[in-house]
Amino acid sequence: MSLQGRGVDENGREMSLSRPMARRNRRIFKALGAFGLLAVAVHVFPEAAWAQEVASRQYGTFPLVGSRIAIWVTAQVHLLFAAFVLGVPMFAVVAEAIGIFGGDEKYDKLAKEFTRLLLVAYSATAIWGAILSFLLVTLYPGLWLYLTEIFQISMWVYVGLFFFESFTLYLYYYGWDRWSQGRAKLGHWTLGILLNVWGTLVMFIANSWLTYMMSPPADVGPDTSPAMVQFWSAFANATWMPINIHRLIANVVFGGAIVGAYAAYRFLMAKTDEERAHYDWMGYVGNLIAIGALIVLPFAGYYLGREIYEFNQQMGITMMGGFMSWLWIIQAFLIGVLFLTGNYYLWVGMGRIPGAERFTPYTKYMLIVLILGVIVWATPHTIIGNREELEAMGGTFHPFLGVLGLMSAKNTAVNIMILTTFLSFLLYRRANARPTVSWAKTGTIVQAALFVISALIVVFYGVYGYFVSAIIRIGFSVYQVLAVLFTIFAVVGIDIFMMRGAESRGAIRWGHMPPRSQYALFILAVTFTWLMGLMGFARSGIRQHWHVWEVMRDTSVDAATPALGYAAVVISVCVLIFFTLVAFIFWLGALAEKPVVAKVSPGAPSVTGGPELAPAGGD
Amino acid sequence: MLVENLKILAVVIGTLAVFTLVANSIPQVQSVVPEELSFGADVTEGELTASGEILYGGAGGCTACHGLGTVAPNLVTDEGGTGSIGVRCGNRVGGQDCKEYLYASMVEPADYVVEGYNPIMPDMRRSLSNEQIWALVAYLQSVGGEVTVTGTDINAGGAGADQAPASPAPTTAAPATATTTTASLDPVEIMRANTCFACHVLSGEGAPIGPAFDGIGARVDADYIRRSILDPAAEASAGYEAFAGLMPPIFGGQLTAAQLEIIVQFLASQQ
Repeated sequence: MSLQGRGVDENGREMSLSRPMARRNRRIFKALGAFGLLAVAVHVFPEAAWAQEVASRQYGTFPLVGSRIAIWVTAQVHLLFAAFVLGVPMFAVVAEAIGIFGGDEKYDKLAKEFTRLLLVAYSATAIWGAILSFLLVTLYPGLWLYLTEIFQISMWVYVGLFFFESFTLYLYYYGWDRWSQGRAKLGHWTLGILLNVWGTLVMFIANSWLTYMMSPPADVGPDTSPAMVQFWSAFANATWMPINIHRLIANVVFGGAIVGAYAAYRFLMAKTDEERAHYDWMGYVGNLIAIGALIVLPFAGYYLGREIYEFNQQMGITMMGGFMSWLWIIQAFLIGVLFLTGNYYLWVGMGRIPGAERFTPYTKYMLIVLILGVIVWATPHTIIGNREELEAMGGTFHPFLGVLGLMSAKNTAVNIMILTTFLSFLLYRRANARPTVSWAKTGTIVQAALFVISALIVVFYGVYGYFVSAIIRIGFSVYQVLAVLFTIFAVVGIDIFMMRGAESRGAIRWGHMPPRSQYALFILAVTFTWLMGLMGFARSGIRQHWHVWEVMRDTSVDAATPALGYAAVVISVCVLIFFTLVAFIFWLGALAEKPVVAKVSPGAPSVTGGPELAPAGGD
Repeated sequence: MLVENLKILAVVIGTLAVFTLVANSIPQVQSVVPEELSFGADVTEGELTASGEILYGGAGGCTACHGLGTVAPNLVTDEGGTGSIGVRCGNRVGGQDCKEYLYASMVEPADYVVEGYNPIMPDMRRSLSNEQIWALVAYLQSVGGEVTVTGTDINAGGAGADQAPASPAPTTAAPATATTTTASLDPVEIMRANTCFACHVLSGEGAPIGPAFDGIGARVDADYIRRSILDPAAEASAGYEAFAGLMPPIFGGQLTAAQLEIIVQFLASQQ
């Protein structure tokens, strides 16, 4: 049957039946189409709207304490554990090497004990890292999305390296006794080196993310799509390598301090003289590592500061002279505590060294020098603050003491403090030794002269700096540093040769230390940890209200950078959490395995003819 | 053993307490987050200078350098006998009045560096909005001089016609990119991010629900395209009248001005 029919259109023309039908069909099809489109729209646009909402969601909320505190505490505790597990392998490998190539088994056992501590802390590091990742994703999704867009490849590599690091650590620790001789031992030692390689690479990758937030490439702006950011330019940004170097050294310092605190705890809890002697020695080694590495740490810090200035002067000046300027006064106070406490530990330690009593009269002069140094170091001067800061200080600087606030005075003070601390170490080392080389007297005079000359150079340039312009004065710090470093290396070099075959005035009485010396090690560990927290606040805080400096603004409720007092409370909480966990983790480790206490005779002579670092088994 | 543990705990907590106490004993200063400023054409001198003063002493970060005349010239106090900035700004650069000089100092700070200082000042457009910069100019003019900044200057965007500030994202309480789905300036990327291809086809991508983008430039002009994006219900394309009102009118708020123009020009070029 045909669909043709009769009908007339608006112009009076006879229509075929198909036209009305066709028109009706078109209406039906249009209705169906519209309905279909509506169905699609209802499906697509809510999804699109939801997608818009998801894409535009920049922040989450964390109950009770808020997102910023949640991230702050998590990141800080993670970093503290990470610093420990990255720092300890560095000196564990060195200790093992001394054991292998020096033939001293005690160092090998010490290295193994270091690694046991590392093993039990490793899981905590990973757990806190995972917590940090989840909190970042949920609380700062906008920033996370942005950073992952740029750094996703490095994040995959990071995870892969983490696997390598984990398995290498397990092999390194659990294979210790199995691969303890000959070539197998060398292979085992190589595992330790590899562990350091993986750990360093992991840290370098993570450093690129956080330094990008601080110093993105100059061609990246608020409108630059993350997909358009050049990966390597973002990865190796202006502050990446300075942070790498600073953290590498700081990890050693921190690891040594925590090991020292661990040893102090075991010393105080020890039940036998042998145990006490072992942990006394371990504490000394930890302190030596921490203070020794601390000496070079400021130079890495200056390099970082200089690169921040180079990248953005405003950021640098805000850091040193703006609202964060007082942070460096707090740092100066902490550095002062470190120097005083570290030296105090050495001086108290001299009490167990026969022959050291001849150096005891000098300690009071060294104490005076250190106290003066701390006072100068902590004196503020050019604090370019806002009105509230200047009004609270009663002016821009103290009319008399303010002159000590210039970097000329501070560089002088810290270099003199470094020289004094090095002198403490040297006296400690020489305490019970009587050199037998024919040129001993000349060598000692040369060493003394080096100390005096470098001190004079430091003071000369410090005073001269007041009479020249700032740009020239800055350059003087290089001469001061070079003088101190040269003295340290030269004096150590002379001492090594001079003490060969030296006679012993008496054995170091390892374990014969008063408890207050161990509390000094705890103070050192707490201070180093707090200092790390403070520096973390400095690094994050100079970004102020930017997630990524001058690229991605922080528009959350926590955009303002808090004052130092508030930050101090958070840092203290982080340190408390860290030490609580560390104490628990080390206790767990002790449950699983009794540490091997190196056979140290408490009355063993101390000098074997080599560098005096540990109690030896004979003359 | 318990006693020893308690002693250790006391040492740790005591040390933490000392550090916390010392840090809380010094002047407490919190950083300031810049607030969004919005001025109409009839903004008063008082409003401008008040906002500028707040910025100068806080979120603008000015006092980090312009505080003591050591790394940057004194502004609100005398600078080497030449007076405060409001007094001397009109005589700094020939051909530039005070307003022009101050504005240029913020957006092109390396153009004229005061003798004895280094060119370290950043382009303030990276961190401050147009309104904030003008508020600062007004405040600095007020320190010893006459305020000549008006709403016209602010709305014009710059002191000279050739000024093309790379304006940062507006400092609103909402995130800088909260109303955009992407910061991309690639037209296809922008359209993907805004789900345009859910209804339109371009080079085989998308769904053929609305008018195709292929050849759209040959059918309609740029103005039409722009109107269709901003007010899609105003006019339906031929053949799509039944679907009028289905395209959501959200894109005007979702796209930045730059992104809108990029899409318009891109689509207009599809011949």
